[in-house]
Amino acid sequence: MSDATTHAGSPASTMDFHPQPQGGAPKPWAFPAPERSQLPNGLTLLTSHRPGQQVVAVEINLVAPLDAEPEGLDGVATIMARALSEGTDKHDAEEFAAELERCGATLDAHADHPGVRVSLEVPASRLHRALGLLGDALRAPAFPDSEVERLVRNRLDEIPHELANPARRAAMALSKELFPATSRMSRPRQGTEETVARVDAAAVRAFYDAHVRPATATAVIVGDFTGIDLGAALSDTLGAWSGSTAEPLKASPIIADDTGRVVIVDRPGAVQTQLLIGRIGADRHDRVWPAQVLGTYCLGGTLTSRLDRVLREEKGYTYGVRAFGQVLRSTAPTSPEGATGASLLAISGSVDTASTVPALEDLWQVLRTLAAGGLTDEERDVAVQNLVGVAPLKYETAAAVAGTLADQVEQQLPDDFQAQLYVRLAETGTVEATAAAVNAFPVDRLVTVLVGDAAQIAEPVKALGIGEVTVVSG
Amino acid sequence: MPMGHTATEQAGSGGLTATEHRLANGLRVVLSEDHLTPVAAVCLWYDVGSRHEVKGRTGLAHLFEHLMFQGSAQVKGNGHFELVQGAGGSLNGTTSFERTNYFETMPAHELELALWLEADRMGSLLTALDDESMENQRDVVKNERRQRYDNVPYGTAFEKLTAMAYPEGHPYHHTPIGSMADLDAASLEDARAFFRTYYAPNNAVLSIVGDIDSAQTLAWVEKYFGSIPSHDGKQPPRDGTLPDNIGGELREVVEEDVPSRALMAAYRLPHDGTREADAADLALTVLGGGESSRLYNRLVRRDRSAVAAGFGLLRLAGAPSLGWLDVKTSGGVEVPDIERAVDEELARFAAEGPTPEEMERAQAQLEREWLDRLATVSGRADELCRFAVLFGDPQLALTAVQRVLDVTSEEVQAVAKARLRPDNRAVLVYEPTEPTDAADTEEGEADQ
Repeated sequence: MSDATTHAGSPASTMDFHPQPQGGAPKPWAFPAPERSQLPNGLTLLTSHRPGQQVVAVEINLVAPLDAEPEGLDGVATIMARALSEGTDKHDAEEFAAELERCGATLDAHADHPGVRVSLEVPASRLHRALGLLGDALRAPAFPDSEVERLVRNRLDEIPHELANPARRAAMALSKELFPATSRMSRPRQGTEETVARVDAAAVRAFYDAHVRPATATAVIVGDFTGIDLGAALSDTLGAWSGSTAEPLKASPIIADDTGRVVIVDRPGAVQTQLLIGRIGADRHDRVWPAQVLGTYCLGGTLTSRLDRVLREEKGYTYGVRAFGQVLRSTAPTSPEGATGASLLAISGSVDTASTVPALEDLWQVLRTLAAGGLTDEERDVAVQNLVGVAPLKYETAAAVAGTLADQVEQQLPDDFQAQLYVRLAETGTVEATAAAVNAFPVDRLVTVLVGDAAQIAEPVKALGIGEVTVVSG
Repeated sequence: MPMGHTATEQAGSGGLTATEHRLANGLRVVLSEDHLTPVAAVCLWYDVGSRHEVKGRTGLAHLFEHLMFQGSAQVKGNGHFELVQGAGGSLNGTTSFERTNYFETMPAHELELALWLEADRMGSLLTALDDESMENQRDVVKNERRQRYDNVPYGTAFEKLTAMAYPEGHPYHHTPIGSMADLDAASLEDARAFFRTYYAPNNAVLSIVGDIDSAQTLAWVEKYFGSIPSHDGKQPPRDGTLPDNIGGELREVVEEDVPSRALMAAYRLPHDGTREADAADLALTVLGGGESSRLYNRLVRRDRSAVAAGFGLLRLAGAPSLGWLDVKTSGGVEVPDIERAVDEELARFAAEGPTPEEMERAQAQLEREWLDRLATVSGRADELCRFAVLFGDPQLALTAVQRVLDVTSEEVQAVAKARLRPDNRAVLVYEPTEPTDAADTEEGEADQ
């Protein structure tokens, strides 16, 4: 190394410096407006042709929310979602997986509070065949006893792995703390050992019969459709799915207790403390959403936001801390039950054990400083430029576009919501963004979950005055 | 409906082309135009990775990568991040065994800014580098290590397998994150020397992909990078030559607080860039690449002895690649039962080779993975740099998928027979220190 240093240590010349270039004129770009239609079986269809995107993305929304799971059967929606790809009236489970992979396709299904999402990605040239398999899975899943039993056992095996993961353990503890025990939201999305163990093929079939039908489902299809007769590809696949109409499910309001308090999930000897600090707040139907997005970004959206500027780039306590808002479930104000939605608003990251208390002190100080002095115009401007400017990058792939369109459907938002959001972000001022951020993260209304070594952190955390401290076992 | 052998006419390249250029100071430049979306990706690969690190300084290449974001002559503090994000761009850098890459994806009209920023730090980083950023980023990287490896179950498995598969003293014996002791030992002078040694235009490839005007882009590259002096201080990495086979099974049993028993193994496989590596990729895909793979069908579906089973390829050009087996056991299943089943499947595969259906599925999966990588301008820029740096020819990126599709089942069988053998693997077994059924029954799982 020292040889190399003397070799190049004192270059005879340095580079020529030039002033920072100014950008050219932006080229127009807009979030794609999907075409909306309906198949004769009642399936709602959103399509968007994206030239050059050779991997087509298909997202299916099924209105099968976790709230609809029968009492004591938490996890049946998850097992049903997984069992959709474990055999149909044409293929057994192994054949089905093989046929999908023969298309070069991936198929994922998962259950969340708003419903079940099934995601297919496949090269455009094999779309028709993959849609056939997807159609079979939705239309005629076999739900064989032995496969459902296997999925249940597999799910039970997964639970200890999730509990061992500090970030997931923190998320579970926060849900349990925030929501009343009677609320489905307080409990793990994919069920507990106790409830999953009760799930069998009959329960899966009953949940499917009650909640899966084309009339309440939506298919979002995005990609390069050049040379593809989409109508024909759909009619003998998703179009062959049939089912009755259904009474719409009624969503109940989301209630949470955000009294400031601390729960420590004890992990003796942990070298880091996982932080998750949160409460609930506005969803996308609320007028404050763009300001909340902007304010949350300024607080903790990136490495140069307020939290990381101190916790990472000044103090080195963490690899990174992020603030975010994530919609839990939404209904439109115009729906029969009105607007019932909410987001989880949270700050998340991990810090070395010794820095836990100093990091929490600094974090609260960042929030107090924000409340006292507000955001600067420069911060607001940079945030808007980023949030709006990255849109063409963020939505380069078919999967990204399809994901957002499907989210909009799931949250009962208009198809042009994302396109309009960019306009509204640009119109949001510093004062509104500050107010939204301060309202989203009030210093005395935050529930703090710490997954870490209680013996080292519990006492000093009590002294911080951020709420009553409870220690639970890891 | 008949299935073609390939999903696209041009087998993945989608009609993409790339042009190559070289500045007088040795900087290689690769351009690829695509005007479908108004975005442009800039990707810069420096031909330096953890394999260039010396004893006692593991983790230096990665720590140094962090320092590249701490300002340069004309860019203050976190200015690199602030300016790119403020222009509506996204950015990052990563460090591996064989290279360090830096990348920005920009709205097309902000391309020039990204070039100015990359040139500024390539030419003038040391003007801004100081103790304060060194101490700060040392702490950040140590927390990165804790978060990603030390504080998660099985987090150090890769490090342990690597250390077995490549012997002491081998340049790939340690992973890019490095050890805590070495991170503590790194000095500002080490960082300066590292920059002077490896960060030079003649040790880098710059690729720019997307909605660009090639002539204008090349003029900007010349303007901003052209005057950065080249130098020849670089030391080649230590010799990574190893026998094709380990020559005897290596084994380590770890007792840790993990949620279930696990069987992991690393097999020595052919170097990236060879036809045999593509054959190995297909073999691992057939064996453990998805939910129709042999190991998944055997362990997860039929025996129900595993909660998850996978087999993947870590492609390496300067040392044997690694085939990485990862099986987490179900309930009370013992590792020897899993191991017996794995060995049976591997032996059968070596004896019989893949079926035509398995070849078709594996090739279709690898083809889609390629299409995914090439679906974004940043993915394409990274692949162009990869082939330019590691194999001397960026054009190979555009034909990579065709090479995978050209491999025959005989070649797949041959590589399995030669390499996927018990005497060519390092085995890592996890035994939990607590009973595996200690899960809290009140709570199961939630996503964040």
